[in-house]
Order: sequence, then structure tokens, then C-alpha cells
Amino acid sequence: MTTIPFNHKMGAHCESGTVTSLLNHAGLTISEPMVFGIASGIFFGYFHKHKSFPFPTFIVRNRPGEIRKNIGKQLGIRFQTFSFPREESGMEKLDELLISGIPVACQVDFFYLDYVPSWERVHINVHFMVVIGKEGSDYIISDSYFPGPVRLPEHSLRKGRFAGGTMSPKGFIFYPAHVPSSSDLRKPILKGIRKACFNMLSIPVPFIGIKGIRLFAKRVADWPKLARDTEHLSHEVMKINILLEDQGTGGAGFRYMYATFLQQAADIVELPELKERSAELMAIGDGWREISLFAARIGKNRDLGTARMKELGDLIMDRAAVEERFFNGLKKSVK
Amino acid sequence: MKEKEGFVDCPEQQMIVYVEKEDGQYGPMQTGSYITKNYIEDYFLKRNNLISKLKEQVDREEISPVKLFMVLEDLTVSELSARTRIPFRKVKKHLLPGPFKTIPNTLLEHYAAVFNITVEQLLDVDAGYEQKNDEDASK
Repeated sequence: MTTIPFNHKMGAHCESGTVTSLLNHAGLTISEPMVFGIASGIFFGYFHKHKSFPFPTFIVRNRPGEIRKNIGKQLGIRFQTFSFPREESGMEKLDELLISGIPVACQVDFFYLDYVPSWERVHINVHFMVVIGKEGSDYIISDSYFPGPVRLPEHSLRKGRFAGGTMSPKGFIFYPAHVPSSSDLRKPILKGIRKACFNMLSIPVPFIGIKGIRLFAKRVADWPKLARDTEHLSHEVMKINILLEDQGTGGAGFRYMYATFLQQAADIVELPELKERSAELMAIGDGWREISLFAARIGKNRDLGTARMKELGDLIMDRAAVEERFFNGLKKSVK
Repeated sequence: MKEKEGFVDCPEQQMIVYVEKEDGQYGPMQTGSYITKNYIEDYFLKRNNLISKLKEQVDREEISPVKLFMVLEDLTVSELSARTRIPFRKVKKHLLPGPFKTIPNTLLEHYAAVFNITVEQLLDVDAGYEQKNDEDASK
């Protein structure tokens, strides 16, 4: 089997990057921020206690899989999807599609990807990448987190695709089966923005959206009580930086990528106000980045006393206030 | 964020960040990881200290190797149970050294597969985490 000619492109985020690459391959010219924005990717959720997380954590994007589903629904794209109860049938189907010349997106546990440096590898079942070929027993992967295509042994891909646990991939694969040659993006953009505003402002759950940011700001002061020791607390505080900057967010917990989407959207929907909103969100993102740098610094210095943790909480609380103003303004802009 | 402010020289971990270009347009920039560039040594220091502490606990028979690798890989009992397909209560028991010694080989294989090590490395913790360290060093 050979490798399918595929224009590998780095992306900020694995799911939006994977979906964008597949749509581009299928002939639809669309940017990653546009996919992310139309799919209402921007989000916030804080989990102080969760059976799958050993320590409090937060998310800055919508539920995995939603980007594909939302963009499909909004633009009339039909994604062919498959899940498998048995590993063998899952691997056979992948090979069959590759032989037919179809690049295939796979959901995997990030932990088993040999090409990822050890310090980045974590058990997370919702990483997406495109398989573009097979050479011997290695699969050729276009992973939007890497500058070029990489190789992955068959046994590692198999482990990643069939890992158990929360949001187990169950061998899930997909590819776009029908893509319209052109799409009018105006309605999908406005719908996507409205839904993002709803998610951030109106979901009646205390740990989601702006309420979630406020909860995070309040509860971060409790983190020292939950940590095994100072080094554990330092590790968890420094993970704030990783979750906001390093885990495929495009910087500042997706705020920079969403600002880019709003700038691109302003011209398409002929709503110049969105350019102002875009600049406003870029500045809000700078504030999140300050939090990232602050968390990394106090973590490294083990400067994690009550006063510092309160300072961290105050910085986060400030983001809740500015994001509440921002999303209320954005909601009015697209009414 | 301006393009100049966002660039980090870290070839070991590349990523895309969206920045404001000189012409005022926002767009992607390939850059490096700030935290990997500046704090990777601190990460390994903390990880090695954690391994040593857990290893001492295994040697003192306070915890089992399953607990060691579970903590090291940031898993909860619930998550480990779901990943190994071993009932929650059994996994909880297997975190203790006594019950660990009675685990049949088939279940040890389930644990080893999740931790991405061999059964031999699970039974001999020194070999298990040496392999992990070798992986770290080779990257």
C-alpha cells in the first residue's frame, strides 16, 4: 500500500485541524478558525470533582466530536462514520478505505502515539488525526500537531484506537462522504456565534461557561488541600499553562483562534462590528496568556502560598467579568 | 498577541498559535512550546522525585506497583477500571501489595497493556520505570 497524496498542514487543534484538512482535501476551501467558529467550538467548563480526573481540571472547547457534527450540520457535509466492537474489523476497514484512496480520520488515545514526546503523552481518548497510508507495518499519519507526516506502528495505532475508559474511541473513524463544492457561510457563521454565546452565557449548569470560569476562580484556592505535596501542587498549577497554551488551543485557551474567526467572519457577513469584537477577544486572550505565564512561574518557584493562589483566583475571576461583557456584546452584535 | 511576542524557539515541541500579523490581520504562526522550552527540567525533576517516592512506598509494601503506575499516569481507580475492564472493587484491592501478589497473569496483562509496559516490568518496578526513563531520554 502506498501513501495517499495529502496536503499535510499543521493545525492549532486536533479535531478542527483534522476536519479542516479533510474538507480541504475534498475540495472545500475553508480555514481552521472558520471551522472552529461555525462549529461553536469556544467553551469553558470547570470540573472540581470527576471520576475520570484525579485532580480538578477545566476544558476550553466544546465536547469532542461536536466540531465535526456541527460543521456537518451547518454546511450540509455528510461524514461517513464507523465504530467497531472488534479490533480486527476496525483495522480491516481502515486498510480497505486507504486502499480505496480515502484519507481517514481516527479517534485515538494520545498516550499510545509513539511519535509524541514522552512528556506530552497523557491518557486522553479524544485525539483526532488523519491516516493517509500504510508502508509495511507502519501507518502514515497526518497529525495536525506535527510539522510533517509521521509514522506509527500498527500495534500502537491499534492500542490507541481501542483503548478503554472514558470516551473510549471504539475504533471510531470518519471521512467526508459528501462535501458541497461551495457553501454560503453567512447563516452558519451567525448560527455558530449565537450558539457559542448561549454556551458561554446561558447553559443553566454552575460549572459551564462564565459560571464555570467563576467557579474555577473560587475553587483554585482549595487546590493546595487536594494536592499530595508541594511538587504535586506545582505540577497541577503549571498544567493550567499546558491546558491553555499547549494542548492544541491556538493560544490563550482558543481565544486567539476565535478572535481570528470573528475577524474573517466580519467580511463574510458584512458586519464590521465583529472586527471590533475580534480585537476585544484578542485582548481578552492576552489576559488568559498572562494567567498561563503566572501559573508557570509560581509553579516553578513553588511560590504557592495562600496569597499567591488568591492572586491566581483573582486573575481568573477578572477573565470571567471581561468574558461576560464580551459574550453579551457579541450576542447583541448578531441578534 | 503580536507575532513577535508569540514566537518561542523550541524545535522539540512545535505548535500553531494565532497571532496578530504586522498588517493587523490575525492568522496562524508556527512556534514552539513556552513551557517545554523554559520548564522541562522542572517537569522531569518532579517526575523523578515522584517515581522515587512511589518506589520507596512499593519497597516498604505500602502500595502495589499498580498504584505506582496509576499515579504516575494520572489515572483514577474508576478510569483504570474502565480501561482494564477489571471491576472497580478489584482494582481498588489491587492497589494494595497483599492482594497484588494474588493477581492472575491474565489480569496483570490487562494492567500492563494500559500502562504500555510488559508484565515483567510491572512485576519488577525498577525495570518498569527505567524503561519509561529510557523513553524520556530518547526523545
